[in-house]
Order: sequence, then structure tokens, then C-alpha cells
Amino acid sequence: MPAAIPKKSRKPPQSPALIRRRTLRVLGTDISLLEPVRARAVADLGFDIVFESLDFPSCQRKAALNPDSYDVYDQCFHNLDIVWFWGALQPIDTGRIGTWARINDLAKAGGIDKYASRGYGDAPANKLYVQPGLSLGPEPSRWIAMLPTVHNFDSFGYDKRVFGENAGRESWALLFDPRAKGKLALVDEPAIGLFDAALSAEAVGAVRFKDIGNMSVAEVDALFAFLHAKCREGFFQRCWSSAQEAARLFRERQVAIQSMWSPGYNVLGEASTMITEAAPIEGYRAWHGGLSLARHLEGAALDMAYAYLHWWLSGWAGAAMARQGYYVSVPSAVQNVLSAAEWDYWYEGGEAREDLVGADGATIVVRRGARRSGGSYRERASRIAVWNTAMDEHNYVSRLWARFVAETNARQR
Amino acid sequence: MKRDEQQAAMGVSETAGQENGGRLVSVRRYDLIATALRANIASGRLPQGLVMLEGPIAALMQTSRAPVQAALRILEQENLVHRFGGRGYLIGRLGVAIEPLRLDIHTLELNISAEIDEALQNRGLWERAYDDVEAAVASCLIFGEFRIIEAELGTHLGVSRTVVRDVLSRLHERGLIAKNQSSHWIAGPLTAQSVRERFQVREVLEPEALRLATTAIDYEGITRLRVRAGHSNEPVNWAELERALMELCIFRAPNRHLIELIQHNQMPITAAYRALSRLGLPEDEIAAGEYWTLFELISARRIDAAAAYLRNHLKVMAEKNIARLRIVAVVSEAQSIVPYLTPYRVE
Repeated sequence: MPAAIPKKSRKPPQSPALIRRRTLRVLGTDISLLEPVRARAVADLGFDIVFESLDFPSCQRKAALNPDSYDVYDQCFHNLDIVWFWGALQPIDTGRIGTWARINDLAKAGGIDKYASRGYGDAPANKLYVQPGLSLGPEPSRWIAMLPTVHNFDSFGYDKRVFGENAGRESWALLFDPRAKGKLALVDEPAIGLFDAALSAEAVGAVRFKDIGNMSVAEVDALFAFLHAKCREGFFQRCWSSAQEAARLFRERQVAIQSMWSPGYNVLGEASTMITEAAPIEGYRAWHGGLSLARHLEGAALDMAYAYLHWWLSGWAGAAMARQGYYVSVPSAVQNVLSAAEWDYWYEGGEAREDLVGADGATIVVRRGARRSGGSYRERASRIAVWNTAMDEHNYVSRLWARFVAETNARQR
Repeated sequence: MKRDEQQAAMGVSETAGQENGGRLVSVRRYDLIATALRANIASGRLPQGLVMLEGPIAALMQTSRAPVQAALRILEQENLVHRFGGRGYLIGRLGVAIEPLRLDIHTLELNISAEIDEALQNRGLWERAYDDVEAAVASCLIFGEFRIIEAELGTHLGVSRTVVRDVLSRLHERGLIAKNQSSHWIAGPLTAQSVRERFQVREVLEPEALRLATTAIDYEGITRLRVRAGHSNEPVNWAELERALMELCIFRAPNRHLIELIQHNQMPITAAYRALSRLGLPEDEIAAGEYWTLFELISARRIDAAAAYLRNHLKVMAEKNIARLRIVAVVSEAQSIVPYLTPYRVE
């Protein structure tokens, strides 16, 4: 529709506009906002990009309450609907994402193949597609709420000097083994750490969940009664908020067993030979990240955002993610960028034929001869126990969890 | 207005502010306020175009804002005031061009009849405090479980323990607080499970109340509402439409007990919605559309169809409310909590 021409347009001619490089603002967490990725994207795309990296809750809060402060939201599917229902985002037209067709079935259909375990909780496919009425659901449509990108299957790490070798019989129950007393840490985010705690509580037989991905109030209360009892017994060392902090806890031998994220294993230093990443018999706690478009985007700014989304899955960013232990939804594109040795180690679960560098492209994070815990991508993706999830009772759980975390960390001071 | 008419309009002639057999009886304060404002508009003391704001009226009438809000809505339905681009309401019919007139209502020397003044003042001390406490308690529910410290509440309100107990017993009666095993007064938490259960109750009660109300529905009021919406470009908030559905239809069912059940059952979910709106949650235009469909069916006297539609609508709203409740998790509780409510810790 042509805009009406204002009648009083007799202003003096304005000075020519300053030519400014256009900038794309990305809001996210340090899971994926890596400086090498930003620098490479700027070089490839020809516009400036700024990253704003926050912790999970601050990131969600900002995304929901200040939707004009960013262009692209780089976060996880499990807290997507919080921001989506706030009306802060706009649907993504998959017709404009060249790599869409190559995204694998883990994100699109809920499992890596039809026989793989789906896991409880928020599989990304359940929140992926925009449904009539703007709700989110699994029925495929041209429009999606978040472009699936980085993901992983998390477990816990433990110190072999305390627990010995447990290969083949590693259970989440190990977190509440008597040897873990005073030496246990959990990640402090409610939609993540809660499930490490819940998988462990169920593994030791303290609580039984009908659906661990959508707990009832009674189940939540039982879980917290258990956690508070363990807290009083002195089990918890602390709750951490970044992979770096977790690694430090291991390096300083403050903990012997804890929730663990992949990048943390790359910065264990001397301790790395003593710390094992478990492949739990009950399965992994999975998570999936993605990119969303801010509601306010239009015109040239929207084009830039689409270009960034498409670029993100074209291989280079995925290779950087692989070097910190994360997978990406278009593995075939990543394979083109990684060396054969890197691909075999990170995706195929093979033995490292040479020393491998991390996401910074310089530091050696994997020594020759090492083998990734849990095997290949396909094997790990087939053993999902539960997804990081904002359950129906998420608000109730988050508040109990916040009190639990505060109490645990206060005990240590 | 003659005294008996006035009292009829007040709807409180017998019981205003009195204790009835030892039981505290609520008065319809918004009716009292509406009556007082109506009389002053008629006499011209409240001039055409005057901007009516809740806060100053509440201060003048020595009441909280909620009943003023309700009174202004009544006057709006009567076409005595209307909404405009700014905050508040303008005196005068919608469609008549009037310049907003901003005056301090305290300087207008309103004529408030002795009966109304008395009725407003006679309400027990506890009642004047009650609305504020109810609002505070209701809005804490979404943030988890809280203990109400009686002494703190007394200090906060500047009232005696007796008054505090009256307030608490009313909150208890309305299902907003309960006593736990340690004999502490506990509010909350509002869980997804309780939201779901309350909506199940709504699905059972409200369509049936609508059926019972068939001959008592204010069909003219619905017509006025639809006509007014047809003339206005402003989107109407769905919660206001829900309130209109209650006032014009469902609460007219000839069964007081049923209406009370419905009101009490809705209270925590309505409170949660209000708390979320204050946080800036966007409007749900789809829900508003569903209320307009309902009003269309009711206007066409298709009450059975409307009742069935209402039941489905409530099913959808239950899921939306649960989704909204998840959102609350990103909001910290600190800014919303009054001093007499303290987070309850299970040890």
C-alpha cells in the first residue's frame, strides 16, 4: 500500500545519510556465541554482527521483555515457548532457509531414526512448527518458530580416583552413591539440572515418575523432599552456572562427580585423564538449540537475519560447535568442513588419529588415541532418556529449584 | 433520585456494612460508587468531558480502586461515560466530540448523599482493608508458596488482631489461603495442576449457569456492547469481554450459591492473569474473537450452542493459561511481594 505523501513536506533538504555498516544483533548464551564464529560470519556475510551472551534465565527474560533489543535469538527449544508466547518472535519461513531440507530427523521428527528412543519431555519437534492459531506443535508446516541448530546428549562426569572404572554400568545412581557425599555438584538451571537430579533420584529408587518430562505436583514435591534430605546429609558441594566453573571444580578436586557439559571436558587440564564422561545406562539428558527471529524484524534487517540463519547451518559454525563436543542439525555440511580425523572422532566415535584442536582453532583438547564416550552421534542420539524441558509445572518447579540452589550454595559459604 | 430508588440501585439497603448474625456481609461497593457518580453527573457537578481517573475517585470515596473500576464500567454500559485515547474515562456519550477536561475531582465539591456516604463508611474496617490484601495475596500465588505473618499484616494495615482475623477468615472462605499442619496461614502455590482443575470446574459449572440464566440474560446489554465495539477501532481486551460475559449472562443465573462457586473458583486464575498483564504479556486476540462469537450466539438466543461453545473455549483457555504460567518462571518475585508475605520453606 503506497504511503500517503504528507502535504507539509517543505522542509529544507537533509544532509546526506551517513553510510553505516549494517549490524545484526544476536542474543544468546556462551553455548554457541563464540568469537571465531562471529568473526567468520562477518567475513562471509559482509555485515557487522554483535553477540550478547547472557546466562540462561537473564537471556530468556531479556528476550521476552525487551524484544526490540536483539534481532536473532540464539537459545534452546526448551525455553522457546516462554519467549514465543510473549509475542517476542516471528515465524520463520523455511522456504527462505536453503539448508532446511538437509536438517536431520532428530529435530524434525523427534528421533534420529524411527527406532531410536524419543525420550520424555520437550523433544524439539513438539515445539518446532507454527500451528494455526500461532501455537507450537509437531504438525509439519512451512513456518517454524526456531531453526534447529546445535545440540548434545549430556550426562555426568566422575573422578576415577574416587569411583574407579565403571564402563558399561554407569548409572545416574552414582550421583547419590555414598562416595559422592560432599563431592557432588549440579548445574543450576531448573530446566536442566532438575533432570540430572530427577534421573538420579529415580535411579536410586527414591522417586518414581510416571512421566519424568512432565512431572505432577506430587512427584515434584517428592523429588524436592529427597533433594533437601540429601542436602542436609551434606551431599552437595555446590550448583554451578557455566561449563568453565564445572571444569574448575574438577581441576581443584572440590567435586568428584557432577553434571557436566561437553566444553567443560576440554578445559580440565591435568585432571582430564582422571575424569570420565559417563554414558549412563538409563540414557542421556538431551537438549537442542536453535535460532529465532525477533518480531520487529522487517525489510533489509529481516533479510540479514535470514542470511545469518542460512549461513549458520552451512558448515563452518557447525565445525566450531563440533570442536567443543556439540552436534549440529545438518551433519553433512559439517563433514565438509571438519578434517577426516575430526569427523571420525567427534561424529563417528572413532579413535583420534591425531591431536585435535578445540573451537579456538589452536588449543589441543583431544589427545591422539582418545575415544569419545558413548560412541557415535547415531548411538548417542538413540539413547535419549529425557529432553531439557519447561514442564507444565515449570513455574512451580523453578521457584522450588531456585530456593534449593540458594540453600546449597549458601551452605558452602 | 428518590431515596428508595437509590437504595434499590445500591442493592444494599438492608445489610450495608452490618454484621448479620455474627457473619460479615459484603456490600456492593461499586454500586454505591456508581450511584454517587451518576447523581453528580446528572446534576452537572461532574461536567461533560471531565476525565475520570480511578485513583482520585478511590481516594475521594476512601476505597480501593477495584470497585471504582467496576463502577466506571457500569456507567460506561449506561452510556454516561466512555473510553478515549487517554487514561481513564470521559464523561459524556461516545461519538459526541468533547474536549477532555482535566480537573482535580477533590475541588468539584461533589454531592454525596448521606446514605451513600454512611454506607461507604459503615463498611467494617476489615472490609476496607480486605480488597488490598486480597489483591496482594492473589498476585503472590503464581510465585509459589507464601506464609502470611499475622503480626506483620496488622502492622502493615495499622489495624488490630481482630480485624486481621476477619480479613484472614474471608480469604480462607474464598479459598485463597489455607492453614497448614503447623497452623500457619499459607497462600499458594498456583500450580499448573490447580489451574487445570479449576478450568475443569469451570467447564462443568459455567455452561450450565449460562443455560440456567437464559431468561435473565441482559440481552440489551450485549447488544449495546456489540454496537459499541462495532463503532470503535480499539481492540477489546479478552478479559474485559469475559467479565462482561459473567456480568451480563452467567452471574444472572437464578442460583446465588452456584454463582458464588463460580466466582471463588475463578479468583486465583483471574488474579494470575492480572499479575501477568501487569508484566506486559501481550493481548490474546484469538480469545477475544471467541468471546465475540459467544455473544453472537447468545444474542441469537442459541443458548445451547453458546453453552457448548463456551465449554470448548474453556478447554482451550486452560491450556493457554498453563502456557502463560510457565512464562512466569522468568519473572523474579521480589518486586511483587508485600512485607507480610514471606516465602514458605519446607524443611
